[in-house]
Amino acid sequence: MGENKSDVLQGTLDLMVLKTLEAMSPLHGYGIARRIEQVSGDSIVLNQGTIYPALLRLEQRGWIKSEWGTSETNRRARFYSLSRVGRKKIAEETENWERIAATMARFLAPSN
Amino acid sequence: MDFLRTLFSRIAALTGGRHRDNDLDDDIAAHLDLLIREYIARGMPEAAARTAAMREFGGVTQTREAYRVQRGFPRLEQFLRDLRYASRQLRRSPGFAFTAVLTLALGLGANIAVFSLLNCILLRPLPVPHSDELAVLRSDQNDQEHGPNYSFGSPFLRSLEKHHEGFESVAGYSTHPFQVRHDSANVRVPGALVSGQFFQLLETPPALGRWLTPLDDREGQANVAVISDSYWKTRFHRDPAAIGQTVTIANKPFVIVGVMPSTFVGADPMYRPEIYVPIWSEPIIDAPYNAIESGYHSWWMRILGRRSPGVSLEKANAALTAVSDGILDESIPDAKWIKDARAHRFHFAAEPGSRGYSYMRDTFQKPLVVVFVLCSAMLLLACINLASLLMARAAARERELATRLAMGASRLRLIQQLLVESLLIAVLGTAAGLMAAPAVSRFLAAVLVGGNGAYVILDTSLDLRVLAFVAIVAVLSTLLVGLVPALRATSKSLNEQIKSGSQSVHSRQHGLLPRVLMSMQVALALILVFGAGLLATSLQRLHRIDLGFQPHDLVNVSLEMNKQSRDGDSLFAWYRQYLDALVHLPGVKAAAYVSYPPMSGSTWTETMQTTISNGEQEIYMNSVSSGYFSTLKIPMLSGRDFQWSDNNASGLKVILSEGAAQKLFPGQNAVGQSVVMSKKNYQVVAVVGDIHYASLRNEAPPEGYLCMTQNTDHKPNYEAITRIEGSVAPFASAARLLASKMAPEIPAPILTPMMTDIDGSIASERIMAMLAVFFAICALLVTAIGLYGTLAYSTARRTSEIGIRMALGAKPGQVVGLVFRENAWIAVYGSVAGLVVAWFAARALTSFLYSTSARDPWVLILSVVVLGLIASAASIVPAIRAARIDPSTALRTE
Repeated sequence: MGENKSDVLQGTLDLMVLKTLEAMSPLHGYGIARRIEQVSGDSIVLNQGTIYPALLRLEQRGWIKSEWGTSETNRRARFYSLSRVGRKKIAEETENWERIAATMARFLAPSN
Repeated sequence: MDFLRTLFSRIAALTGGRHRDNDLDDDIAAHLDLLIREYIARGMPEAAARTAAMREFGGVTQTREAYRVQRGFPRLEQFLRDLRYASRQLRRSPGFAFTAVLTLALGLGANIAVFSLLNCILLRPLPVPHSDELAVLRSDQNDQEHGPNYSFGSPFLRSLEKHHEGFESVAGYSTHPFQVRHDSANVRVPGALVSGQFFQLLETPPALGRWLTPLDDREGQANVAVISDSYWKTRFHRDPAAIGQTVTIANKPFVIVGVMPSTFVGADPMYRPEIYVPIWSEPIIDAPYNAIESGYHSWWMRILGRRSPGVSLEKANAALTAVSDGILDESIPDAKWIKDARAHRFHFAAEPGSRGYSYMRDTFQKPLVVVFVLCSAMLLLACINLASLLMARAAARERELATRLAMGASRLRLIQQLLVESLLIAVLGTAAGLMAAPAVSRFLAAVLVGGNGAYVILDTSLDLRVLAFVAIVAVLSTLLVGLVPALRATSKSLNEQIKSGSQSVHSRQHGLLPRVLMSMQVALALILVFGAGLLATSLQRLHRIDLGFQPHDLVNVSLEMNKQSRDGDSLFAWYRQYLDALVHLPGVKAAAYVSYPPMSGSTWTETMQTTISNGEQEIYMNSVSSGYFSTLKIPMLSGRDFQWSDNNASGLKVILSEGAAQKLFPGQNAVGQSVVMSKKNYQVVAVVGDIHYASLRNEAPPEGYLCMTQNTDHKPNYEAITRIEGSVAPFASAARLLASKMAPEIPAPILTPMMTDIDGSIASERIMAMLAVFFAICALLVTAIGLYGTLAYSTARRTSEIGIRMALGAKPGQVVGLVFRENAWIAVYGSVAGLVVAWFAARALTSFLYSTSARDPWVLILSVVVLGLIASAASIVPAIRAARIDPSTALRTE
């Protein structure tokens, strides 16, 4: 494991996946992982396998849906896209995250 | 919402796990493929690209594991796996599985059965709304003679109805069978006389029509009745037109105004009235008696109260004490009585009444608790037994477990797996026990009710409380059975395990825990055997008491003549005709009438005086016909029997028992002298032997017998006490047929063998002794199995050791001794521990024992001998088997 790699906070990954799928879908696991790394400017290096339990979690909640398709290397793979519920949830989750981030920022700001 | 969706999705995932695993594998393969392509595109050789791809993806196995955890219920799946494993283990040794389940089923079944009985008699509240607000009223006096009195006369009820401070309502009731006309004859139907506020207090609305109100409970009102659901069903086939119809009770018509729902059982949980009538109609129902007219002389009803909202029991009690004095003045027209009562600080009191009132509770509380303790000891023994057997079995698996521990399995996980095995045994045992329990508790209930008649109902059905008890006991026994063996089996590191191997000699230290457990078993078994021995000895002695008469082959034929038309001489003529016909039935050897058959539970006392009797003497009374003493085989010591021709013109006569004669005429011959009773003179015509009238335990009381034909009561009831040869059934039908021919209007006579009454009078002692002996036998069996099983296992593990010993010259006799000694020590330690506990615990039984010391040395010695024999029997087979070991085979095994 690289030392410059940030571990992804629990719950954060879910939001990243949702945002990714909002921007482009359907997408398979590899595509989602790569996209997250790109968007983060490679500051996040995922253990890409961890994306699968997260995808399953979101699917169980009904926020995303999947269908079978064929990958660029001609293999059977699942392609994910947002569900209607998921689209609504993004706003909610984003707001949630911003609130946390703002709170953290206040704590981390140099005291004046 | 999300939670629910996730849950459903997980449940759906429980099926088709393999298929879903393949889906994930496809995804992963596709993902890796894309990564490899990417690296190759960046110019890596294929092998390096594959490695890099794998690195970037992270652990494939971890991903799969995390995915599976997210997908389903990993704990549940693990549990199911453990369960499958456990059932495989059990199936592999069906002998062990069978004994284990049977042992637990015995222990649990007995516990469940006894608890259902306990629940029904001591715990279950009345099925009415807010039963916690109910209170049972009683009267207290501060003298030693009178305990709390739960009976009341009607003047107290009427007064309490007016002064019910602290109570929303108070209600009196009295339950006994009514004579109800069905077709052409009267039959007995369980009934209840209830005061006006009774139904309102129990807050259960009628299923049909209306309930009885204070307006119905007034003298001069129309005769009305409310019937139970079951009576409605059997007599009216649930026809709503039953309302407005009449039932004939005690030869008088009562109009049905309501039907209660099937859930309603009245105020006594052990009695199910079919008909409720207002209390004021008591003189009709009880004719020719009249308890209301007797006023405060007749204490015949129970009183319940419902506390007003927000009034605590203490406050209600204080209010009751405060009104007690006023109620005395208002309801008792006897200044001397009031003065006496005040001197003893007579006052009313209330106690929690959510369970209603039943006399059975006082009678059976202590015996039931003793029985419950006995069967808990039995269950504990069964659990310890299984624990030691499991431990012996686990010893064979120690190496496997140690290896798994060394390979990284967590100890908790292994313990979990082992506990699932004991859980499986416990669940199977509980299921078997639950299946057997209802029959057992019905049987126990029948023994308890005994001679108390057909009207006592013990509803031992399983309710939530019993099921909760079952669940708790099952879990506790799982832990008791499984935890110690599991902890122990997983305690050793592989290193130790391999070092010790099966070649080595087991140190005594290693075997300490199983020995302690086995000794505990022996101790518990000894305690149970000792307790059973005491109770059985005591029962045996009770049975051998000389009653003063010969009870075997006596049958009481109870006749209810109080509601038919004959009276006076014509009634006595009927009685005599019936007796003559009875005596001529086949198999009847003798018969006579008595008003209270001995040991039937009812007695009657009077005070008698003579010139030399040193004041009034309390004498137990009875009214009998000619032939009573010869029928019961009571010796006639001097004088002559009553004659059918004795009547009031021929002068009042009395026959005294020997004890009564000595009390009334100390040092003199009583025959021919006269005694004074209720200001009347009676001439003593005979002295007869003493008999046990009311109880087996108490000494035979002094007794006086009056002549039946001199009885001036109206329409008195008598029982024809009959000595028969052969079985009761044909005699019973002949006696009933005779009664229906000679007096078609009376209810069919009730026949009770005298021994049923006698057994019923010692129902507590019988049920305790029966169960204790049963538990003791089970305990001995279980202990024998345990001793045999553990010794057989441990000897099997010592095969090579014994082989070496024999190769070095040990004789078979020495080997037998070596193995035998293991259990001998367990038996000795266990017996000593058991003796110490039994010595102190037996005192709890003292009050139940009849002329048997709680430390009876013979019972004690016998118990130890029996256990010693059982232990020897259980040890001899493994010992002999060990002596037959062939050293060369034994040494070659490992």
